[in-house]
Amino acid sequence: MKNLIIYFLLCFSCSLVSQNKYITKTGNINFEASVPAFEEVKAEHKIVTAILNSDNGEFAALALVKGFRFKNALMEEHFNENYAESDTYPKATFKGKIIDFDLSNLNLQASSFVIKGELTFHGKTIQFDNLDILISKNKDIISISGSFKTKAADFDIKIPKIVRSKIAKNIEVTFNYLLKRKLKFN
Amino acid sequence: MKIILAILLLTPVFTFSQDDLLDEIDKNSNNIENVNAVFKGLKIVNFESTKLVAKKELNFIVSHRFGSIKNGIDTFFGLDNAVTRLNFVYGITDAINLGVSRSSFLKVYDITAKYRLIQQQHNGFPFTIVGFNAVLINTALDKNNLPLLEFKHRLGYTMQFLISRKINQDLSLQLAPTFFHDNYVLIDEQDNSQFALGLGGRYKLGKRWSINADYGIHLNRADNSLFRNPLSVGFDLETGGHVFQMHFSNAQAMNTNGFLGQGNGDWSDGNIYFGFNLSRTF
Repeated sequence: MKNLIIYFLLCFSCSLVSQNKYITKTGNINFEASVPAFEEVKAEHKIVTAILNSDNGEFAALALVKGFRFKNALMEEHFNENYAESDTYPKATFKGKIIDFDLSNLNLQASSFVIKGELTFHGKTIQFDNLDILISKNKDIISISGSFKTKAADFDIKIPKIVRSKIAKNIEVTFNYLLKRKLKFN
Repeated sequence: MKIILAILLLTPVFTFSQDDLLDEIDKNSNNIENVNAVFKGLKIVNFESTKLVAKKELNFIVSHRFGSIKNGIDTFFGLDNAVTRLNFVYGITDAINLGVSRSSFLKVYDITAKYRLIQQQHNGFPFTIVGFNAVLINTALDKNNLPLLEFKHRLGYTMQFLISRKINQDLSLQLAPTFFHDNYVLIDEQDNSQFALGLGGRYKLGKRWSINADYGIHLNRADNSLFRNPLSVGFDLETGGHVFQMHFSNAQAMNTNGFLGQGNGDWSDGNIYFGFNLSRTF
């Protein structure tokens, strides 16, 4: 019995020192590869999971590739089947760290931070060393947003000649997360 | 007690192992999700596939079957006797399609409905089941040859279930139990109500092309019928909004009642038809 009590005390003390985490399951990622005068090529993902450790600025995000929604179903099918190969590579992930993150300095006004980390998609990982992001905080919600440009070739995705002129070389990716304080024992 | 203590002591280790943030959100997702892209085209070759046009999209399908290649250069391998079918299919919802078409084979008009009853899922239901119905109007029948002809004789009906399974990323197979009824058949011995079983499949050779085949087994063909079961083999090539299907078949008709009931070619003596379906999504 005494042991049990000790265990529970240990357990509680653990949670007391455990990190502060902010999480969302409804983060947004958009990408656009449209070429003027051709059919719009863009997609939106509204159910990205992301997590932030507010003690050290570590950040991670995960999107199921099949969750990207396009203008029409055919484009979505081709994206999954021919380009992203989402049956083979179902997840896109990011893992990184916000430099000099300090929770106490955040306020309603968005401030600039730099994040570094690695993005994995289609089985390929690319490194970000200084990606600019904006962070603001409203009560228990931290907002993180930003954008970057990338190329399909960076992820080993081949675009066939016949559609090459209709898909932009530089793909603009934007992201936006509203992270809520994660409750303990949750 | 010692066992319980041991378990309790082991548990915290698990709690601490959540240090990696990504692992914390990367729960093993055994989610049930729908299986897509079972077939590239709305048809395998002759048979309808379980693919449907998406909601609010319009597909225009132009199909050609040339004449028999048997006569060689004399008919330019069948080009001289080509038949054409123009077909519009609209997606009312992702699961309900309506279509209209006109084929120059017997001047057939048809109205079709295709509806998905259940979709194959990862970690879920193993098949996609789609219903297909058509009403056909044969406007080639001529009162001069058939004096007792009434409008009802021009009508034909199709009732079909399409049951497909995407076995893996490359291979998809389909069964198509079919009932069809023609109010006018060419020979008396042939029942107006006819039954058939369709078998079909596709195998992807690359990301954008596949080899396809289908075969229809007619279950109550009259003994003295001149028609044969349709066997077709072809390739699908997909380029963005288009799907090209090129194939050989021993049936020249493109409507279900036509290729099942009136396929008159024969693979064994080279009496087959070259054809293609070209589909464009709007």
